[in-house]
Amino acid sequence: MTLRSPANRRHGLFAQLTLQQRFYVVAIVLLLPAVMLRTFTAFYPFLQTAYLSFHRYNPAFDHNGPVFVGLGNFQRMGADPVVQASISFTILFVVGATFAQLTLGLAVAHLLNASFRLRFLSRALVLIPWAVPMAVAALGFRWMFDDQFGIIPDLLRTLAGIEMRWLIDPNNAKLAVIAVAIWKSTPFVALVLLAGLQGIGRDLYEAARVDGANAWTSLFYITIPMLLPILITTGMFMIVWQLAVFDLPFLMTGGGPGFSTTVIAQKIYLESNSLNYGYAASISMVLVGIVAVVGVIGLTLFRRFDVSI
Amino acid sequence: MSQQAVLHPQAPIHERPGYRAALLARYGESVLIYAAFAIFVIVIGLPFYFIFSSSITPSTELFNVPPTYWPSVPTLDNYLRMSQSIPFLTYFRNSLIFGIGSSAVSVIAAGMAAYALARIRFPGSNAIYLALILSVALPQIAVLVPMFQTFNTFRLVNTHHGLIIMMSSLMLPFTIITLVSFIKQVPAEIEEAAYIDGANTVQIITRVVLPLIRPALFTMFLINFIISWNELLYPLVFAHTVDTKTLSVGLTELTDPGSTYTKPWDMMSALSVFMIIPVLLIILFGQRMIISGLARGALK
Repeated sequence: MTLRSPANRRHGLFAQLTLQQRFYVVAIVLLLPAVMLRTFTAFYPFLQTAYLSFHRYNPAFDHNGPVFVGLGNFQRMGADPVVQASISFTILFVVGATFAQLTLGLAVAHLLNASFRLRFLSRALVLIPWAVPMAVAALGFRWMFDDQFGIIPDLLRTLAGIEMRWLIDPNNAKLAVIAVAIWKSTPFVALVLLAGLQGIGRDLYEAARVDGANAWTSLFYITIPMLLPILITTGMFMIVWQLAVFDLPFLMTGGGPGFSTTVIAQKIYLESNSLNYGYAASISMVLVGIVAVVGVIGLTLFRRFDVSI
Repeated sequence: MSQQAVLHPQAPIHERPGYRAALLARYGESVLIYAAFAIFVIVIGLPFYFIFSSSITPSTELFNVPPTYWPSVPTLDNYLRMSQSIPFLTYFRNSLIFGIGSSAVSVIAAGMAAYALARIRFPGSNAIYLALILSVALPQIAVLVPMFQTFNTFRLVNTHHGLIIMMSSLMLPFTIITLVSFIKQVPAEIEEAAYIDGANTVQIITRVVLPLIRPALFTMFLINFIISWNELLYPLVFAHTVDTKTLSVGLTELTDPGSTYTKPWDMMSALSVFMIIPVLLIILFGQRMIISGLARGALK
């Protein structure tokens, strides 16, 4: 390529380059800030985390820097009940919340897509849970679920006659934390699915109706298959994103009662605060490993269902 | 209906045959829709109602069994005490600097990168795009310790620009994905025409591309502002001074980590209301743009 720009009236290094080379220079300049930011806060620190995960490093004791321990940290995890509890709760949280978000999100998307007079209102309202700070939602619900002063136990008692203790019971506390995640993120899923619903042609439904399909058969034989690529993409996104959840359980239950609602991220936070940097790094690697496994499954599903990303 | 009206002209409308079925056929669906809408409004609205009513309930009444649903004497006392227990205005300012700064930097850096990735073919462009979007999956917490050490070395802890650097970087992948998909929809012919007319690269970007993608940039600015306004982990770990702490950190400071009964829900709800108001305003103002921006980023 020896094309030269017709408008080239300048001289100097840049002017002597071919058009193609100039494009490369422009591309590098344009990409530089983004690549530098990500390198500084993601790629480089991740390499350090990987390095630290094979070392014992507590700056309060190890004054000569990290000490190599091989797989020592990972063996220690095997004997740490909190790590195991946090991994199992994180998986329960992510699977339960994502499944409910997709199911309810599809229902809400239908509501947002239905033609009725208050539709504009429903589309404004649906953004609110997504937009409200997680800290506000977590603390607000923490108070609403309070076993003594909360309105949720009170409403359940007066309206449905259900007597339930939430945050002091390990299993119900798990349920409560997952419920808040569903409340907070279902609207986001619904908005994405709404965009998908709007892309399905009406003629498909009309043809199905002529052939005698009812609402349910239309849902299972038209809507869900047509939305499958979006459902998979959104589901994967929600799983990966929620695997790293921190602020919700941290503020709502503090990980308790006991360690029943401690997520992996909070365990990492606790170990980091105790200056066990090496151990925290190895738990981080486990978290990244889980994310990677989900990612690979996701990519396989993408290929299988011929989704273009 | 009209046929039945002819057959039974004198009968009251609800006694005519087929009335129920016709009613159900005609209004059944909308009754269902409005019932679903009512449930939707209650589920979404109840927490906000409760947070707001708590914020104007005197603290003596707030700790009642059964709980107070609406205060007998509404008061603004909680707001007053909240602003006295934490430096509310300073935190508010810090949140604004953090939110506006992070979203501005992320939109500018992402806009530049997205243009290069969407329009310029160069070796390694796919690899860079993949690395940038895959890094969205890297959990914040997994790199926190090394990041803290690096930021400490560069004296970026407890600074506004340090917080803005990490927050804007966190939002970059999603912003880039959204903007790349937007730029790819803009026909490249316009830019090619400008090249032929003798415009240089800088002119093309500022005079042709920028006006075309301005709505997308503005949408991403709003979305990123909301995300950074809500961010807790980064300010919690990297801001220890009054001059850098944000409102979300202030909310955790009000929380007494000790016993349940000492949690100052009166002040927390007041601060919560203040944290919700800006995002509510943005949603009222930019609802349509935000919905399209979120859907685009997640679909592509």
